[in-house]
Amino acid sequence: MQELNNKIAELLTNNLVSIFISYKKGLNGKIKPAFFTKPNEVYENYFGDEAQQNLAVYVHKPEVKKYSKVGILANIFALKALLQLYAENQIKDNYLTIVTVNQDNKVIVFADFNEIESYIAQHQIEKNTNKQKEINELLSLSREKRWEFWVEQLSSCIKCYACRAICPMCYCSKCTVELNQPQWISVPAHSLGNFEWHIMRMMHLACRCINCQECSRVCPMNIPLHLLTTKINSDMEEEFGQIAGMKTTLDFALNTFKVDDYENFIR
Amino acid sequence: MSDFEPKIIAFVCNWCTYAGADLAGTSRIKYAHNIRIVRFPCTGRIDFMLLLKAFQSGADGIIVSGCHPADCHYTAGNYHARRRWIVFQNLLNFLGIDTRRITFSWVSAAEGAKWGHLVNEVVDNIKKIGPYTEYAKLGKIGIGSISEGNYARIE
Amino acid sequence: MSRIGVFVCHCGENIGATVDCAEVAKMAKDFPGVAFSIDYKYMCSDPGQTLIKEAIKEHNLTGVVVAACSPRMHEPTFRKVAAEAGLNPYLCEMANLREHCSWVHYKDKSTTLKAAELVRMLVEKVKLNTPLYPIKVPVTKTALVIGGGIAGIQTALDIANSGHKVIMVEKSPSIGGHMSQLSETFPTLDCSQCILTPRMVEVAQHPNITLYTYAELESLDGFIGNFKATIKLKAKSVDHSVCNGCGECSAKCPIKKIPDEFNAGLGTRPAIYVPFPQAVPNKPVIDRDNCTYFRKNGKCGLCEKICPTKAIDFSQKDEFITVDVGAVVVTTGFDIKGTDFFPEYGYGKYKDIITGLQFERLASASGPTLGEIRRPSDGKIPQNIVFISCAGSRDPAKGIDYCSKICCMYLAKHAMLYKHKVHSGKASVFYMDIRAGGKTYEEFVRRAIEEDEVNYVRGRVSRIYEKDGKLIVKGVDTLLNSYPVEIEADMVVLGTAGIANPESESLAQKLHISYDQYHFFAEAHPKLRPVETNTAGIMLAGACQFPKDIPDSVSQASGAASKVSALFSQNELTRDPLIAFVNKNTCVGCFMCQSVCPYLAIEKEKIKAKDGSVIREVAKINPGLCQGCGTCVALCRSKSIDINGYSHKQVYAEVMSLFNERSLEYV
Ligand SMILES: Cc1cc2nc3c(=O)[nH]c(=O)nc-3n(C[C@H](O)[C@H](O)[C@H](O)COP(=O)(O)OP(=O)(O)OC[C@H]3O[C@@H](n4cnc5c(N)ncnc54)[C@H](O)[C@@H]3O)c2cc1C
Ligand code: SF4
Ligand code: SF4
Ligand code: FES
Repeated sequence: MQELNNKIAELLTNNLVSIFISYKKGLNGKIKPAFFTKPNEVYENYFGDEAQQNLAVYVHKPEVKKYSKVGILANIFALKALLQLYAENQIKDNYLTIVTVNQDNKVIVFADFNEIESYIAQHQIEKNTNKQKEINELLSLSREKRWEFWVEQLSSCIKCYACRAICPMCYCSKCTVELNQPQWISVPAHSLGNFEWHIMRMMHLACRCINCQECSRVCPMNIPLHLLTTKINSDMEEEFGQIAGMKTTLDFALNTFKVDDYENFIR
Repeated sequence: MSDFEPKIIAFVCNWCTYAGADLAGTSRIKYAHNIRIVRFPCTGRIDFMLLLKAFQSGADGIIVSGCHPADCHYTAGNYHARRRWIVFQNLLNFLGIDTRRITFSWVSAAEGAKWGHLVNEVVDNIKKIGPYTEYAKLGKIGIGSISEGNYARIE
Repeated sequence: MSRIGVFVCHCGENIGATVDCAEVAKMAKDFPGVAFSIDYKYMCSDPGQTLIKEAIKEHNLTGVVVAACSPRMHEPTFRKVAAEAGLNPYLCEMANLREHCSWVHYKDKSTTLKAAELVRMLVEKVKLNTPLYPIKVPVTKTALVIGGGIAGIQTALDIANSGHKVIMVEKSPSIGGHMSQLSETFPTLDCSQCILTPRMVEVAQHPNITLYTYAELESLDGFIGNFKATIKLKAKSVDHSVCNGCGECSAKCPIKKIPDEFNAGLGTRPAIYVPFPQAVPNKPVIDRDNCTYFRKNGKCGLCEKICPTKAIDFSQKDEFITVDVGAVVVTTGFDIKGTDFFPEYGYGKYKDIITGLQFERLASASGPTLGEIRRPSDGKIPQNIVFISCAGSRDPAKGIDYCSKICCMYLAKHAMLYKHKVHSGKASVFYMDIRAGGKTYEEFVRRAIEEDEVNYVRGRVSRIYEKDGKLIVKGVDTLLNSYPVEIEADMVVLGTAGIANPESESLAQKLHISYDQYHFFAEAHPKLRPVETNTAGIMLAGACQFPKDIPDSVSQASGAASKVSALFSQNELTRDPLIAFVNKNTCVGCFMCQSVCPYLAIEKEKIKAKDGSVIREVAKINPGLCQGCGTCVALCRSKSIDINGYSHKQVYAEVMSLFNERSLEYV
């Protein structure tokens, strides 16, 4: 950790970054994001296994964007998110300094996104077999039972949009859910709008979601959103062999195609 | 159930399926009246949100149809559409939405007869599985559920 | 407040017999926003049109729904009617009561109800229509012709003669294409060079034509009327502005043994060469891959020493020029399969099995044998010669399903030419069918069979092998119950399949045009638009679209030229405004849309602060390129792209209006 703190302090001292996004321990002992602008604040920095939150989401918050150069401590999910954001033209050149700590506790400062690409390729995230099992169980139910399950889950959605706020890939300045000309998503919090909202969100995240499952973590109503993200991710991989957050280039499931994509469902 | 007349909405591209349906007309091929066609420039234009809106608006079944692969007037709109359909269908199925109610097809400008068959088949099939009340009930579930009056199928 | 007019047409009995049109008009009156509705026997007739026009004026209508036949039929008619009454034409929509209702259903209450619902759907749409204006784009009146074969030559001359500028790009050192290699041409047997050469010269001398030989298209940007082409001028190593074409260099060049492309490999040429005596331009280039000076770091340089005009310039570099053009015609021709494609005929290892093109060179007075038919191996005059048609063509097992179209004819020509030159010789043609469709073509083949006594055998040749200096040709005669035939031939000519140029795929990608499974360029419509491509402003002519003979190539060339001239007859182009546009305020610049647009119409636009610094990048749709498919519209997550004529609001309203009148509350 000392090595990391020194690095952050060094970046701030030399004006290589004007703000550094990392973690610290809150008063209640919980880990929360930290925004250091001066070297003498860095003593608060915390990094450990509990520091799970995906900090990439802060990169496009206006409060951060006003700084000319930003540093960020990125765990593997944040790295994937940042790479995806870069591919989606959301990160200007020479704007971010990205730091990570590898499995041997070595601090790495990435020179560019190509380095991140190869780092990610070497550090594949293991598939969570438990979640896959949950999904398979759901799929083995009858359709009606699945419907009942989701109606129950989604009916508790209060459309607080915490899932959107925490998602590093939800950066549209005006989300479709806010449009009322026409009204794509029904406003009242009855389940119709909830279904529309979550279907739309998943469609928009297909092959862009890097499955950090932050949305599921922050949902105040404990809706198992990770089931949706995991499902859509495994679908993308199975159907099209594509995984988000792996490449610097922009070719994802829904903006490319193969002439021989399967179509046995089309009559 | 025998007097149930399903409401089917069709999202079709202008260049193939719309023209195919025109040909069904000029060939005087008779098919079920339950279908309402909405015309789009290309299947690539068909927004998945519209399919959800169709269910909201009371559709019991949906047909989405365009040019066969390689025939799209704009060369690739249908390929992009096909991918979206795959993702969309998988997702709806996972959520337990009745995907039997959505039929995807390719109908060319020369396939008037295929169009007639397709409509009849879909209508028969939806007649068998009944009206889609499940989705409409969503408006009555949850915290902000609305009264029947605000959200209702017209019977 | 909308004031929509609904005009229900009976179309005589066509709609009226099945749908209660008066009832539909009556119901329409109660649809929200409808100010006027009426039914009439024939809306498209003169009185019908007048009725619409008067109603528009009298009731101050803001939109019109004509409930009649398919919009694919009469939309232009009724939009014009609206315009004549002073209403923007795009405020008129049609409900398809005929093709989609009365003709496909029986007379019934539900049919009338459906008709009314279709009308309501279009009423909801038209309420949200906005006035649109045709898009005008300027036209650069210069055409780019790529490829200088007969098709390109004809195209260039036709366009130039109608008064427009032409830039011709030919990749080889001379124009002329395959036709310059031919001996005599079917069906008239006139000498190919004699009819071609004058036209080649005309191209070079025409004041409206700029010719770049030894040049290739590097890239093409822009759109119809406004293309920007970058052309690569390959280094010729000879300054053509001073060279007088004396030919000393070619005569003295010590490298002599390069297989000669013009003679289809049957002769040789030096490293500095003019491809053939009548070449245009008639000045040499240095083939750098084979020149000692370039291969051995400056050794040799003999030509430089002897050139009387000091034209040799080893230091020349490839040059790139950019030109503005309004239209492009692709005339890059075709290629043929070589003998090495055929395992059953020895993979090209037998010298005396040659292609049709090689036979053309043998038969040509300017060829390596000065027109005498002598076989390549020992220069002997063959006494027994076999021609095999459909070599590769019509053979799914070889991946070529199609008929190459020209081989039947040129093989008949070859057999005739052979018989005219070797009176004692025997000529046989193996064929699957004789395809001689064309003016005087059948007669031509009959002449070969009847007058020149060419032996036509219907059947395939399964194998050829060499034995005692003879080529043993084994086949069957299917007209004689598949009776085996064996011929001891001195020479065999294969009518090998015509195929697309090897680089056609990459050229298509540069031009953004499509190609078929065999890599021939695809026409916009196989019957009705055979010389256009799907990309507006780019035409096709000649064998790059499919193997074809000279008359077909030339007529297609004139067709393409007339398309170009028609385009150039206007100063501005008008286009339908049904295209997509971006909402700059909400676009987040992810540029996912860029990759789905089939026409590469989406560009990046920089939004700048007052001080000129870039705040952000957003998508921008080029109205000249967008064809209005809407693929980007449905893709954009923030719905920052919308499209005229099928806008989010419009299609949403249509869907929501369909079944549930209350659903309108959601709009
Ligand atoms: C053996 C044989 C015999 C034939 N006999 C007859 C006959 O008797 N009568 C008859 O009517 N037809 C005959 N034909 C057919 C005739 O050759 C064709 O119809 C004709 O050549 C087609 O002309 P074209 O201009 O389309 O193509 P081509 O003649 O192939 O010319 C294409 C030109 O484009 C150039 N080019 C290619 N790619 C590029 C590029 N990327 N950039 C720039 N330039 C490029 C090439 O160098 C060439 O100059 C014969 C064909 C063969 C093979
Ligand atoms: S997809 Fe939408 S948000 Fe993304 S660049 Fe295109 S217009 Fe902008
Ligand atoms: S509508 Fe189609 S052609 Fe036009 S910009 Fe969008 S994707 Fe390209
Ligand atoms: S035009 Fe029919 S699918 Fe694209």
